Amino acid sequence: MIPYATFTYFGVLLYAVVPAVLLGMLFRRIRVWILGASLLMILVQYSRGLVAWPPTLGREFWLLCGYALFQLVLVSAFIRIRQRAKRRGVFIAALTLGLLPLVLAKAQPYLAPGSLWGFAGISYVTFRALDVIIGIQDHTITSAPPLELAAFLCFFPTLSSGPIDRFRRFAGDWERRRTRAAWLEDLDGAAHRIFTAFLYKFILAALIKRYWLDPAAAEHGLWATVSYMYAYSLYLFFDFAGYSLFAIGISYLFGIRVPENFNRPFLATNIQDFWNRWHISLSTWLRDRVYRRFTLAALRGRWFKDDRTASYLGFLLSFGLMGLWHGTRSFYLLYGLYHATLMAAYELFSQWNRERRVWGEGLGWRVAGTVLTFHVVCFGFLLFSGRIGPDHA
Amino acid sequence: MSTAETVLNVLAQVSRTEAVRDHLDLRLYDQHLLDSLATVRLIVAFEEAFAIQFDDVEFEREDWATPGHIVAFMEQRLGK
Repeated sequence: MIPYATFTYFGVLLYAVVPAVLLGMLFRRIRVWILGASLLMILVQYSRGLVAWPPTLGREFWLLCGYALFQLVLVSAFIRIRQRAKRRGVFIAALTLGLLPLVLAKAQPYLAPGSLWGFAGISYVTFRALDVIIGIQDHTITSAPPLELAAFLCFFPTLSSGPIDRFRRFAGDWERRRTRAAWLEDLDGAAHRIFTAFLYKFILAALIKRYWLDPAAAEHGLWATVSYMYAYSLYLFFDFAGYSLFAIGISYLFGIRVPENFNRPFLATNIQDFWNRWHISLSTWLRDRVYRRFTLAALRGRWFKDDRTASYLGFLLSFGLMGLWHGTRSFYLLYGLYHATLMAAYELFSQWNRERRVWGEGLGWRVAGTVLTFHVVCFGFLLFSGRIGPDHA
Repeated sequence: MSTAETVLNVLAQVSRTEAVRDHLDLRLYDQHLLDSLATVRLIVAFEEAFAIQFDDVEFEREDWATPGHIVAFMEQRLGK
């Protein structure tokens, strides 16, 4: 069953959420129910034919269980080795192993067509698992009790499509003892987000899809494609931001304050600003984990004559990975390269502009920046949609 | 020279903005004085100035939001 998509799902969700609210009122921590509700909802989300009798557990369910067990063993082993010594080779081995299930799942269509090696959400869960491995290497994570780690990896509200939480942040909420005031605050945060989510996903996104996106998709020609570009971009935002708000709102009910994923992205005044506002949990992950680490290594080791070369390669690496992470279709990679180029071009331009002051500061310039950024971004989504580009027949 | 002075010297140099010395609440990222590359340049410049190596570079932008934040962050990292 696809999360947050049907009213049946929301009906079943009540069995997880109502006890969470009531238990939260009675107890300062509801950790047992976080695990219990996750198990219940995972059973629902990953089972086919649950309504039939006898119920059958799908292959995805067992793949998820195996995956979680694998990551638990990997993390425990890596913590033990890291406590003795910091070794780069072991770190790289742990990262590779942590990434392996995702790589296999993405490669499966080429290696074993028709089979199923992954489960919905594996790419998101992998980012959370790698976060733990990187934290252990940096010594910011020194222990990861199995139940806490399992709760972090398999926390059901964010399992299928994020936001991508971080272990240290999650651990703070996991330990937190809520006062009555904090419980009320979480309830308030949840209600606000869940209602906005219904507006975004079931009203705005649904209307755009039915009356604009679907008709535009059926037509051909330049204008239809332009119209499709706007419709697809707006639909993507309302659908994904709506989904994210559901996931964050439901998490709040369990006392887990998952980070925000969107902050009015279409009001961004430049492309860097946009990536601080769109799919924030993914872009900050890539910025801090991939871009920063790569550029830092390059600057420390003086790999290049100019620092900016390191930065451009850093963008290429992070956005290339982002493209591949979405899927192995060539238009996803193209989408990543497109944004890497934009980020590098913007960096070059803003440095040049610091001296020349061609692009000003006033309101007019800001509006121009927003309009320009919006169009550049929409064209990126058009590439992402696969309607134009190399794979298009 | 105190830690704070050194930090502000380095910051003024990397951000190419003298104002950071006197305005400790300047929003560095919001005002486009720092970006992703400048963050990394700053880390390397601090490592050279204080002869240290950062083990953990996983801080959030909010931890370095203003010159005041960065001074506090560095004082804490240097254990003062």
